[in-house]
Amino acid sequence: MLKIEINRTLPGFKLDIALSVNGEVLGILGPSGSGKTMTLLCIAGLIQPDSGFIQLNDRVLFDSSKKLNLQPKDRNVGFVFQNYALFPHLSAGNNIAYGIRRQPRDEVNRRVQLLIENMGLNGLQNRYPSELSAGQQQRVAVARALAPEPDILLLDEPFSALDSLTKEQLEMQILDLRQFYKGHIILVTHDLAEAYRLSSRIAVYDAGKIAQCDLKEKLISSPANRTVARITRFRNFMDGVITGITDKQICVTVPDLDTALIVAVNGYRNLSINQSITIGIRSEHIQAVQGPGQNTLQGTLSSTVENLASINCFFDLKTNKDNCYRLESAFTRGTESTFSNGLNYYLHLPPEQIVIITK
Amino acid sequence: MNDYLSPLWISLKTVLATTAITFVLGIAAARWISRYTGKLKPVIDGIFILPLVLPPTVVGFGLLLFMGKHGWGGKFLALFHTSIVFSWPATVISAAVMAFPLMYMTTRGAFEQVDVNIENAARTLGAGEWKVLYSVTLPLAWPGVLAGTILSFARALGEFGATLMIAGNIPGKTATIPVAIYFDIVDGNMKQANILMIIVIGIALTSLALLAYLKRPKARSRGLVVNPVPSDILAAGKKRDISS
Repeated sequence: MLKIEINRTLPGFKLDIALSVNGEVLGILGPSGSGKTMTLLCIAGLIQPDSGFIQLNDRVLFDSSKKLNLQPKDRNVGFVFQNYALFPHLSAGNNIAYGIRRQPRDEVNRRVQLLIENMGLNGLQNRYPSELSAGQQQRVAVARALAPEPDILLLDEPFSALDSLTKEQLEMQILDLRQFYKGHIILVTHDLAEAYRLSSRIAVYDAGKIAQCDLKEKLISSPANRTVARITRFRNFMDGVITGITDKQICVTVPDLDTALIVAVNGYRNLSINQSITIGIRSEHIQAVQGPGQNTLQGTLSSTVENLASINCFFDLKTNKDNCYRLESAFTRGTESTFSNGLNYYLHLPPEQIVIITK
Repeated sequence: MNDYLSPLWISLKTVLATTAITFVLGIAAARWISRYTGKLKPVIDGIFILPLVLPPTVVGFGLLLFMGKHGWGGKFLALFHTSIVFSWPATVISAAVMAFPLMYMTTRGAFEQVDVNIENAARTLGAGEWKVLYSVTLPLAWPGVLAGTILSFARALGEFGATLMIAGNIPGKTATIPVAIYFDIVDGNMKQANILMIIVIGIALTSLALLAYLKRPKARSRGLVVNPVPSDILAAGKKRDISS
């Protein structure tokens, strides 16, 4: 179990987070400059927090109240740097062997050989980093970090420098890693899909704070606030007021659109009549329907963008203000012919797909 | 007086001792300042580089004041009933002070070029600061460290002004080649000056050739896969060769 509670203040930036990881893969997701990498550097002891504590299993790595700060070399933390930071003057095999200490030569060779096999690096141990592809370099970096048998493995945007095909293969390898590495893993990324595929829990960072930390399914289905909703790809937000609550439904009036929408109740508590809230819906959950009905809005198609798997349509909804509200929707490919710019369409917002954001 | 072996011998002793001292002190100072983050950094940096921009005679005069009977250094040495002014160690001190900035500046530049993540990777893999220095920083900064060593060697070999001020021209004791050449010419001893001049040119050319040889590009470090050989110089030099 890794438990951290740290503070670090820099000019114009404050990191203030509390996290715990227990035998799982925790994804840290957030935009650039939100403190993701700084958190990893603090855990590894490469930078020192201003205050707080860090505990890894039964060892306290850092405790500002006791002025305790273990050196990076004594922390037993595996770190895979974003640029891999391999030793360019050592072969792949010697890179991996670097961190194996106080072991007889046979044992070192055995462990290096095992890691080379596990990471699919057979035949590459005598190559130098400059002679390896980016994907191979990344695997050497992971093998090197695992060689001292660390209690936790920290991966700092390990896939950001790779093409999408290599990236997919290496993601599989990270998933396979769980078969022989039983420690905790923290994965830092700015890619939601990557975090979702690889981790079981995700912590969303926003400007040095944790906006939400939850099981990934929960994070996707019920974002705690607008920041998390935006990072988890909710594209449509509307401000509204709750005007009715029943066992199964919540009625939300959206004043700007002069309309009321029905939201299915799934686990919302502490909501009350007349409470101001924001509702959000993903673009892929909006349906085009034939005529008016419940939760159905009328909009004029203003533009379309063709994606690989979907066609994204932007509809202008009429509002009672001067400006218009733009709704983004994503429809499956093959339906393009039914859409043409300038025409009016009926758009259905399914009650079970709308989320209520209270903050 | 046609003894040219004595200045050559004194110069070689002085230059080797100076190079060894500046090598260690230059690396230590460069390592320290490249990781030091205090406010005094530019001041300390300036003091380290100062001998390079001052006239050698000024440095020599300063050393003379410091090391002389009434200077702090001289008083400290007097406690041990010794004095170094106008003795052989003075040639080393003056040359070391003059050569130090070149070693320091070149090494510092080379250290700062080393990716801090690579050093940090070594730390997370259990390496202490000494191991980081000799197993990562120095090998990666080696071309720069080597260039600094050769430069300070050359500077020490050519040192004249500061040496003359603090060590003087005592034949067979403190008269290095540059000092000896000057006084040979003053005395009209042209033959002796010519021989010493040829010797100095020989040493200079040899050290430049050595530098070019040690800095020659290697296919591996350039990332060119010409013919992957299992063990090259680098791998053979390591303690653990896991390729076998």
